[in-house]
Amino acid sequence: MYYLGIDVGSVSTDIVVIDENFNVVESVYLRTKGRPIKAVQEGFKIIKDKVKSADIAGVGTTGSGRHIAAFLVGADVVKNEITSHAVAALSLDKDVRTIIEIGGQDSKIITLENGMITDFAMNTVCAAGTGSFLDRQAERLEIPIEEFGDYALKSKNPVRIAGRCAVFAESDMIHKQQLGFAVEDIIRGLCEALVRNYLNNVAKGKDIKSKIFFQGGVAANKGMKRAFEEALGCEVFVPKHYNMMGAIGAAILSAEKRSKWTNFKGFEIADVNYETASFECNGCSNLCEVAVIKCEDKVIGYFGDRCGRHSGKVAV
Amino acid sequence: MKVTFPHMGNVYIGAKFLMDGLGIDYVIPPFNSKRALEIGSLYSPEEICLPFKIMMGNYIESIERGADTIILTGSCGPCRFGEYAELQMKILKKLGKNLDFIVLDLPSDIGFDELKRRINKISSQSPKSKKEKYMALVNAYRIIGLIDALEAKAHERAGYEVNKGECKCLLNECKRKLLDTNNPKEAISILKEYHKKMDEVEISREKNPIRVAIIGEIYTIIEPFSNLYIEDKLMEMGVSTKRTLSPSWWVYNTVLLSPFGLTAKRIRDAAKEYLPLGVGGHGQECVGEAILSYEEGFDGAIQIFPLGCMPEIVSKSILPSIARDKNFPILSLVVDEMTGEAGYQTRLEAFIDLLERRRGYVLSGN
Repeated sequence: MYYLGIDVGSVSTDIVVIDENFNVVESVYLRTKGRPIKAVQEGFKIIKDKVKSADIAGVGTTGSGRHIAAFLVGADVVKNEITSHAVAALSLDKDVRTIIEIGGQDSKIITLENGMITDFAMNTVCAAGTGSFLDRQAERLEIPIEEFGDYALKSKNPVRIAGRCAVFAESDMIHKQQLGFAVEDIIRGLCEALVRNYLNNVAKGKDIKSKIFFQGGVAANKGMKRAFEEALGCEVFVPKHYNMMGAIGAAILSAEKRSKWTNFKGFEIADVNYETASFECNGCSNLCEVAVIKCEDKVIGYFGDRCGRHSGKVAV
Repeated sequence: MKVTFPHMGNVYIGAKFLMDGLGIDYVIPPFNSKRALEIGSLYSPEEICLPFKIMMGNYIESIERGADTIILTGSCGPCRFGEYAELQMKILKKLGKNLDFIVLDLPSDIGFDELKRRINKISSQSPKSKKEKYMALVNAYRIIGLIDALEAKAHERAGYEVNKGECKCLLNECKRKLLDTNNPKEAISILKEYHKKMDEVEISREKNPIRVAIIGEIYTIIEPFSNLYIEDKLMEMGVSTKRTLSPSWWVYNTVLLSPFGLTAKRIRDAAKEYLPLGVGGHGQECVGEAILSYEEGFDGAIQIFPLGCMPEIVSKSILPSIARDKNFPILSLVVDEMTGEAGYQTRLEAFIDLLERRRGYVLSGN
């Protein structure tokens, strides 16, 4: 028996298959590129040769695209990212007290006690310090994002970069580059700025106790891990599947549900042609933006209407 | 004279029947929408708080429908609401709109004579007798009280209802019916009828739902558009909610009790240990309500405020101490012009999850 977890995030779509002991059997990490349906289908194409649809006993979805993904694949559990990340971390280590999670568009802190979430926070209205910003800077410096962290580790004298706002951080970096500072020193300075921003903004007022887990795509960045360790004065653990913890958590939740049957539609949906469109509903003054999913010219679902006048008609 | 007023939750219902009773022509601005926000943001200072922008949108949409007089309550406290009317007057004047702004401030701020002069500007337009005017005021006060109470009842009972969505449907149905009449007496009987219907909604007390208090800045907790319809979302999730601040609460506390210095006394007393002084807006009330909701056995509280709200920033920094001391989870949500709901929904679901798991539920399912 296997369980499937799907995390459709802003930047990446992660799909994992776990066994009954919550070991990862298969995993796929793809870029969402703003097309969640395509991303899930791509992932299924890779997995379907390795795992049989009939072996899947439960499906969980999470991430900002969890509802659309749930609808597409037939999920048994639809869970928010915070609970999913916490569940996955707890399955590895019951003693984890703090989870730092930095993803593509948002960053979170989750504090736990006795295996239970006690508090959490997410960045408010600003995405400074998240993965997309690092991605963009790597691109601008023409350094592959995978090597970004190694550069930071090479630095001996970090340069101070203003981390409060992504736009200002970028102009600060450009100014320092123009002055001739080494790239690795600037990158390390950037990592430190992001950590400062995270601790003063997202984690403000929260008790950070060890053991600390660092997960989400940004945890791949060794420079960020070291900057966190220096700022917090203790070790920060990056789990092996740091970038798939959300998907793993969703899969575990579907396993914990222990339903006798699953809604899973099978990996075969990878070959079905889905189309999306949107319109503004004029039914009332709310003027909701409604998204429509079509399968071979037949409407199969609506999203985004507040009153349910469209989505209510199709069971999700 | 054709008057209008900004939206804030059920305010339009009370204002509508007041004007109906007085026999004064009025325009209810179209319900808050992306359009109101877009127009409002276009003409507002970029850094001002969200309510200002939505209100500007309301005014302009009403002016398009023929309104020439805006009625607004004022404030001379330390919160930025105090400068709303002045700034809005200036902006509308620059836009070439020829209007009259009637700002109703407390007599302690502007004096009795000035308040009387301002009220007279409205009441002199009414063809009704003195007694009828008085009755219009009394009826409007009863109507706003009844609709706020009905809403509170729906929010509380939604957690216990047997047929999901019944409370919400009844509430919306009642609001629709109220717009079809211009007679305050009839409105009162509609409201009483719906109170009865709401009392008869089939509920199961064994359900023991999660109970959450909604606290924070008054506009953003009362006006559903500004908080992305948080109370509707919680009703759908089967959560029972309570919000103390409402238009009728405001009228009772600010207009009727303030001459005696008794405004929100119970709430302010509760806040004393953590925040002994008023910090403007309803910052002290927010702290007091957090403590009261803990004492009343709620599972948690959600604080909502617009980006840049000074009084609520003060209370936000105090709430973690209360959460720690009382072991009482509090979620702070900041609202601004963003209308994307995904991140907001995530925080809300995660918070309800946290509260459920605290209670020892293993898994709530979806």
